[in-house]
Amino acid sequence: MSAVAGAPPITPGMGGTPPAEKQGMSTKRKIGLSVFGVWFGGIVLFVVLFGVTAHKAPDVASSAFSPVDEFRLDTWFKAGPVAFNKGVLYLLLTTGITLGVMFYIARRLQQRPGRLQVAVEMFYDLARRMSRENLDQRMERKYFPLIATIFVFILVSNLIGYIPLPVNSGSTFKVFGAHIPSLQIYAADTNVAFPLILALSVFVLFTYEGVKHHGPIGYVKSLMPGGVKGPIVGLIFPIEILSNFLRLISLTVRLWANLLAGHLLIAFMGGELGVLVGLQLVSWVLLPFGVAIFIFEAVLIAGLQAFIFAILTAIYIGGAVESH
Amino acid sequence: MLHALIAATGEPLEYGKAAGRAIALGFGAGGGAAGAGAGIGAVFNASIQSKTRQPELRAEVERDQWLGFALTEATFFYGLVGGFIAFFL
Repeated sequence: MSAVAGAPPITPGMGGTPPAEKQGMSTKRKIGLSVFGVWFGGIVLFVVLFGVTAHKAPDVASSAFSPVDEFRLDTWFKAGPVAFNKGVLYLLLTTGITLGVMFYIARRLQQRPGRLQVAVEMFYDLARRMSRENLDQRMERKYFPLIATIFVFILVSNLIGYIPLPVNSGSTFKVFGAHIPSLQIYAADTNVAFPLILALSVFVLFTYEGVKHHGPIGYVKSLMPGGVKGPIVGLIFPIEILSNFLRLISLTVRLWANLLAGHLLIAFMGGELGVLVGLQLVSWVLLPFGVAIFIFEAVLIAGLQAFIFAILTAIYIGGAVESH
Repeated sequence: MLHALIAATGEPLEYGKAAGRAIALGFGAGGGAAGAGAGIGAVFNASIQSKTRQPELRAEVERDQWLGFALTEATFFYGLVGGFIAFFL
């Protein structure tokens, strides 16, 4: 962080010049200007220190280094049929946190809720509302636990994906002689198997409910939108069958690609692009965008993807038992 | 001129394949982004209009707006994943 040291000469002059008429605005402006000053001073410092010619690291130049390597799953050890890797670790963490928080809150509900209880009650209300709006009463009693669990499980899985943990066994660093895996932000969702299994179970579930409600022939018939008659049926019917199976793919790819692309984008903006082109300046220039994308992903996308998966589960199960 | 260019590339078949893959990735990502951008714009357009017309429905409109946003945003990733499949497989 030698770049920070280069900035102070710029900031006091810029922050001090505007007359302090409104005290609140002025502080905000000072902070904004000093952050910009640090960033701009860093650019100047990087140009002075490293120049603007590219020096690729040997691993990058020989393309031994690949940006997607960090998402590869190295087997750490085998426990029976399970090859233990970081994806498994994240799944176990997610399961542990989900169960732990939920049981902890359920055991000691209080009249005056703490912060955690307020959050859990908010998730409960949200899941309750989306299942009540899309399912009838009998189905809601049966499937509300599933929908709420899917929501919280995916939310926790997404959110712990934004905490740097020492899991990147592909590269290590030394602390007091011990080899520690590099810190990495990884999420179980960035492996396609995790969303695929979730989507498959949802797909099997709503098909089962539909077949139970309509009968096998009736269910296939119920896929047709009502009021379609004549020769157009031959055209609409294959499309409806196809779109029914495409739900599986769309559920999977929506969650998987959102998280994978988000993590790749954070990595690229947070310095990897500079490594790839061999120009230190690029890493520094793009760093604010990396921070912005990180906040956008962690605040909006993580919750949104959990919400959308849960509400689509409710909609699909509700749609399967609906009579046209 | 063209012959010289093809000869310079060494293996024309390999070169053509690589070029096709790059085009597929660019087309998938770019087309997906264009489509999703237009779609997200339409979603927020409708949301803002309905919120200003009927501010009392704000909560419900916003919930549907985020649903529409996430569904539309995902279409970008279908294009991107299609491009990646063409590029790497």
